[in-house]
Amino acid sequence: MDDYDIRSAASILASVKEQEARFERLTRALEEERRNVSLQLERAHQPCEQPRASTCAIGNGQPLATAWQQLVLQEQSPGNQTSLAMMQEPQEMVEETVTVEEDPGTPTSHVSIVTSEDGTTRRTETKVTKMVKTVTTRTVRQVPLGPDGLPVLDGSSPLGSYTDSIDRRYLKNGERYLPPQASSTLTRSYNSYGEGPDGPYRSFHAHDASGGYGGAELPDGYGSLSRGIGYRPRYAYVPGNSYRPEDGSYTLPSRREAYGPPGAQPQVPPVGSGPDLTVSSRSQPERFQPEPYGLEDDNRSLGVDDEGYELDPDYSTVTRRLPAGVPERSRPHKGRAYDEPSEGEMIDERIPYIHGGYAAPLAQPERGSMASIDRLGKRSPSIDSIRKDPRWRDPDLPEVIAMLSHPIDPVKSNAAAYLQHLCYENDKIKKDVRHLKGIAILVGLLDHPKAEVHRRACGALRNISYGRDHENKVAIKGCDGIPALIRLLRKTSDMEVRELITGTLWNLSSYEPLKMVIINHGLQTLTNEVIVPHSGWESEPNEDSKPRDAEWTTVFKNTSGCLRNVSSDGAEARRRLRECDGLVDALLHALQSAIGKKDTDNKSVENCVCIMRNLSYHVHKEVPGADKYQEPEASQAASTGALPRRKKDDASCFGSKKAKEDWFSQGKKNGGMDRNFDTLDLPKRSESAKGFELLYQPEVVRLYLSILTESQNFNTLEAAAGALQNLSAGTWMWSTYIRAMVRKERGLPVLVELLQSDSDKVVRAVSIALRNLSMDRRNKDLIGSYAMAELVRNLPSRQQRTAKNLEEDTVVAVLNTIHEIVTDSAENARSLVQTQGIQKLVGISKSSQSMREMKAASHVLQMVWSYKELRGALQKDGWNKSHFQTAASSAPKGPKGTPGKAGYDDSTLPLVEKTHDGYSTIDHRERKYRAGDPSGDASEKEPLKTDPARKPPHRSNRASVNLVDGRDPKPPPVDSWV
Amino acid sequence: MSYVPGQPVTAVVQRVEIHKLRQGENLILGFSIGGGIDQDPAQNPFSEDKTDKGIYVTRVSEGGPAEVAGLQIGDKIMQVNGWDMTMVTHDQARKRLTKRSEEVVRLLVTRQGLQKAVQQSMLA
Repeated sequence: MDDYDIRSAASILASVKEQEARFERLTRALEEERRNVSLQLERAHQPCEQPRASTCAIGNGQPLATAWQQLVLQEQSPGNQTSLAMMQEPQEMVEETVTVEEDPGTPTSHVSIVTSEDGTTRRTETKVTKMVKTVTTRTVRQVPLGPDGLPVLDGSSPLGSYTDSIDRRYLKNGERYLPPQASSTLTRSYNSYGEGPDGPYRSFHAHDASGGYGGAELPDGYGSLSRGIGYRPRYAYVPGNSYRPEDGSYTLPSRREAYGPPGAQPQVPPVGSGPDLTVSSRSQPERFQPEPYGLEDDNRSLGVDDEGYELDPDYSTVTRRLPAGVPERSRPHKGRAYDEPSEGEMIDERIPYIHGGYAAPLAQPERGSMASIDRLGKRSPSIDSIRKDPRWRDPDLPEVIAMLSHPIDPVKSNAAAYLQHLCYENDKIKKDVRHLKGIAILVGLLDHPKAEVHRRACGALRNISYGRDHENKVAIKGCDGIPALIRLLRKTSDMEVRELITGTLWNLSSYEPLKMVIINHGLQTLTNEVIVPHSGWESEPNEDSKPRDAEWTTVFKNTSGCLRNVSSDGAEARRRLRECDGLVDALLHALQSAIGKKDTDNKSVENCVCIMRNLSYHVHKEVPGADKYQEPEASQAASTGALPRRKKDDASCFGSKKAKEDWFSQGKKNGGMDRNFDTLDLPKRSESAKGFELLYQPEVVRLYLSILTESQNFNTLEAAAGALQNLSAGTWMWSTYIRAMVRKERGLPVLVELLQSDSDKVVRAVSIALRNLSMDRRNKDLIGSYAMAELVRNLPSRQQRTAKNLEEDTVVAVLNTIHEIVTDSAENARSLVQTQGIQKLVGISKSSQSMREMKAASHVLQMVWSYKELRGALQKDGWNKSHFQTAASSAPKGPKGTPGKAGYDDSTLPLVEKTHDGYSTIDHRERKYRAGDPSGDASEKEPLKTDPARKPPHRSNRASVNLVDGRDPKPPPVDSWV
Repeated sequence: MSYVPGQPVTAVVQRVEIHKLRQGENLILGFSIGGGIDQDPAQNPFSEDKTDKGIYVTRVSEGGPAEVAGLQIGDKIMQVNGWDMTMVTHDQARKRLTKRSEEVVRLLVTRQGLQKAVQQSMLA
């Protein structure tokens, strides 16, 4: 018995031990399995962006905390809807202003790749593919497990085959990267977000992640819990909820898209984050079994939940419909396609994955959990009832404007945000807001202490200030909006607000009468607050610190654009800008830094160069103490200021011949000086130049030449050439230096090369610059021998216009430059003959459609014929006197056809006049400069004119790639291969 | 062909079914489009009404799928797979046409000759 007992005890012990051992083995196997799976999971996450994955994956980690925080923040903003709107805002605003390109919120600024839906998506998808692969591996592991946890043969399980078929179905729909697993779908959407180049997306992330967090945090109760987190507070913050439902209403169909996408966007990430999280947080294999069911539930409830809190019935229907409609995408949603095709498309563009991404969970019914679906079922009706609640309606405009004065701040900011949204691309609403005195209230809100409120108000003003209707701009100015904006700029350090302020100012600056107002109130502040700090310039550099580079921020771009506009407002504006402390220094520093970093194509650089060009205009007459530097002849003629009048006086009291001699002698003298200069003679300075003096220091030549060499931006090229043109046109010592400096810095070849530019205005600016530069005798010789061929090439030939089809102005400019070059230089005239220029000139003078071209060409011909030593050669080529004199009939005859004289009668035609003034006195050169400034002038005014004129294409180019070059007055028609 | 946006349009249309051609990763249709509500309609050389912001076929590559299917330069695309193309941005149209998921696109196009031909046949 005992023995038996002992034996049985022993056997029991043994069997227990054996069981223990077996158990241990099992545990080990399990452990290994678990490790295996988690490893794979990890691998699955690696391809996608790690931090993001972790945000959603590590349930209780830090990232979530931040996400949560952000959620809270957003809740504090007036209602989720608006915070979403805010995220969308940049897009809106940007489109409204001239500051389009770098819009962080334009989700559609994708590369246009022929067959892909858009570049971003495609890139993303590539990445996803990798990830999907790994995930799929896991799926395979998972699938063979039967419902009872036993391994099932690969593919033989009904589950497995089901998954397969689903996959195929998706493939058919072209969503080829759709992983068979909801979680990977999810991650994919995350990925797409992550790929998004811009900030707003990121903020979405955080937000979305937080949404997912709700679901993730309590994997069991997430359905209801996340709902609570997800939308209850939002309700609470929406004042009266009255504005929210707007989203679902159909009163403003075309507007809705602004809200729509943000509404729709968050839907995906929560869907994703949920499962993602679940998967990684419970990586034990045995739990995979039940989990798929939970996942599906997760997806669904989150999806619906999302719709719920978006309160966007429209979108929810879309999303619901889409999954259902996936199999037959070709079937259009009636009514949607026709009523608001753009919206349907918007969904498409912004959430390219929505069809697949969102559809995926629904299309994988194998994961459904009845229990949770029940929960769902209970919930949906309530949402529907909210949606259908007749109490919600859109506030009308007066109500919205009244809400701007509501005592509760979130209502104010909400109303302002809604106004911004309403005003977007809607001139009528803008006008109505103005008539309802909304602008004054908005301006008043700029001084509101709450960031949320003044930000929204500023956003609304930015949209209102955009457009050709200047009355809105005037209205903003009328209620002291400009000083209020400047005040806010000084006060706030919030980048977004600063972008809004400067964007608004940029809009305002496009209207002539407001320019001086902006200068008066804001010039120094804009310079101190934006231009100087962002340019990297330091007035007293710390010796230890490295010189800083410029930062091409949106704020800097907006501000430089604004200053570019105001810098074209005439002599007084130029004076103020030149004398503004630190402005010129900072701009120059920024440009130097751009050259240093070979980043000369961006808009900010363009703006800076344009400001520099405008400030260089008439610098020799307008800067204080300019008299001291006048060349002897010039100062003689201009002994007492009053330069503008001088011109006329001279025209009447100097004979042209005398004038010509004057010019001639001066030219010689200049030549002499230049020679000196070449060897040494830059004026010695006791202290380094600063402020406006920097504009005309010979050192700037190198800067402009670098830009001319480096930049691909036509506007920048034109401006840089224009700056040289302006600087070299002057009659003072500095212009002489500049002309010589261009030669010394080997700038002539750079300019000559630009004569080949495809851009009309670049050719024109360069050509006029060359003409001014050839006032220097040695420059003239060099240009004559090296540039003649290029100049002639730009002329239209008899059969056709040039390949480039240059505008009349440009052709005339080129002709005038040729004229200048062949004047007083038989050698240059000879090279004109040698480059076959005569044929083209005769063609133009005989048969051009343009009177101005004809005259300009015939003046050149007369000049050529006046060189008797060339006549032999010309006649040998088959030309005779009539070819060179025919034009004389149209151009009044001067003695011996002196073009200088002939020109006077043409003086009403400014560009023809240009041909001749070079011959006369300094004053005439002045005048030429002036006339040359039609180009200079035009260029000067251009930034200004461009804005009003260029906006229309802008505005219409909404949300498309074209925004990038939206500033071109007439963007060439877009043509896409498909 | 001018019409008021939002109002029904009557136009004689032709169905064109284009089977996309796979070129490497891309599916191509072999034509190019111009126009769209975001483009300057005045620059459209094909439209009769210079305010028409519709989508037009601007080029058709020789021997390409579009040419094979009978698409012609200057055709105005009314619908793509049932989606309206008369009030879309250029990019939207491009995307609608280049869905990777769709190997076949069915277009409704109208062209100037078509309208006249039908009218004449009805008169005759």
